Amino acid sequence: MRSAQRESSAEAKQAPRSKDGGRAGHLAFVAHEMRNPLSTALWSAELLARLSPEERGGPRGEKLAGMCLRTLARLRHLVEDHFLADRLAVHGIPVRIEGIPLAEALTAAAGRVAGARYEAAVDGFVVHADRAMLERALEALVAVAGRDGTAVQVAAERGQGVVRIQVRGAPPGEDPFRLPDRSTPSDPTGRALGLLAAQSVAAVHGGTLEVCDGGYLLSLPVDPSGEER
Amino acid sequence: MNRKSPLILVVDDDPDILDAICDILDVEGYAVARARHGEEALERVAESRPDLILLDLMMPVMDGITFAHALRGRRIEPEIPVVVVSADGNPQKAASIGARGFLAKPFDIDALLAHVSSNVRPHEVISPVATRS
Repeated sequence: MRSAQRESSAEAKQAPRSKDGGRAGHLAFVAHEMRNPLSTALWSAELLARLSPEERGGPRGEKLAGMCLRTLARLRHLVEDHFLADRLAVHGIPVRIEGIPLAEALTAAAGRVAGARYEAAVDGFVVHADRAMLERALEALVAVAGRDGTAVQVAAERGQGVVRIQVRGAPPGEDPFRLPDRSTPSDPTGRALGLLAAQSVAAVHGGTLEVCDGGYLLSLPVDPSGEER
Repeated sequence: MNRKSPLILVVDDDPDILDAICDILDVEGYAVARARHGEEALERVAESRPDLILLDLMMPVMDGITFAHALRGRRIEPEIPVVVVSADGNPQKAASIGARGFLAKPFDIDALLAHVSSNVRPHEVISPVATRS
């Protein structure tokens, strides 16, 4: 089991990084992407602190508090996605495989995406995966496919030893799995590293994440370790 | 155009950054205009000549470096001062476009206001766009 995890972790490291390499360029992008919401969070908190108690309860206080919370949420997505991908790449997170009803994981994941609108045809499918990682991957996919309020459709089918989870919504951009670097456009929702994290999750389970029919196709083996559970 | 307060044009592709900086400047009594990229910024300059431009560098459509070159190409007199506000911590890029100042995000509000007050062009109440031919 452990060696299987190591192999798939190595794939997780290779898959997202092999196309463009450029670790330094990637880290420059991550730093740039984090500094913008960090700036706004700091400014809005500082401006709030400068307001009188009366002003803090007024429209400007409300606006600043909203700005602070929104940008902290954005920063949180970036930090969590960045460290999930990086820790998986160095085997830094134990993978606890269990049988998870896909509908249950999807509900939990989509519930964390603000304003997500989705339809799902996944009842009856059980995915063998690490629950937290599966939910993080699904959350990223729902968020990315649902950008700009686009309705998302999630469907599943069984293949040979795998469950294929199709997520459709806003069409994927050109080369969506390219390692983000300085030339990658900024994402004001904080999901710029979501696909990278989801791809790392797929790889560490021995699965794949790819573009298929204008959507994203997450394939996870029914039993990645080959062991009885 | 008739303005009582100096006009600051804020150019950044990040909507939260735009909102925050404009809010800070507005409270301090500056008039503010905003643009999401260099191309929009050129339009804003043509509409209402700003007294200072706060310029991000990494933007879609037209980045800050290209915008700065296009702005200089318009040969506006007197020259509109530019302060670069960027998450790219390299001040050499700002120097390469003749910026008057450089602020690396995240910067303090007081640092922003100090850069604005020290670099804002002497204000003209009536300011039609004048260009050298």
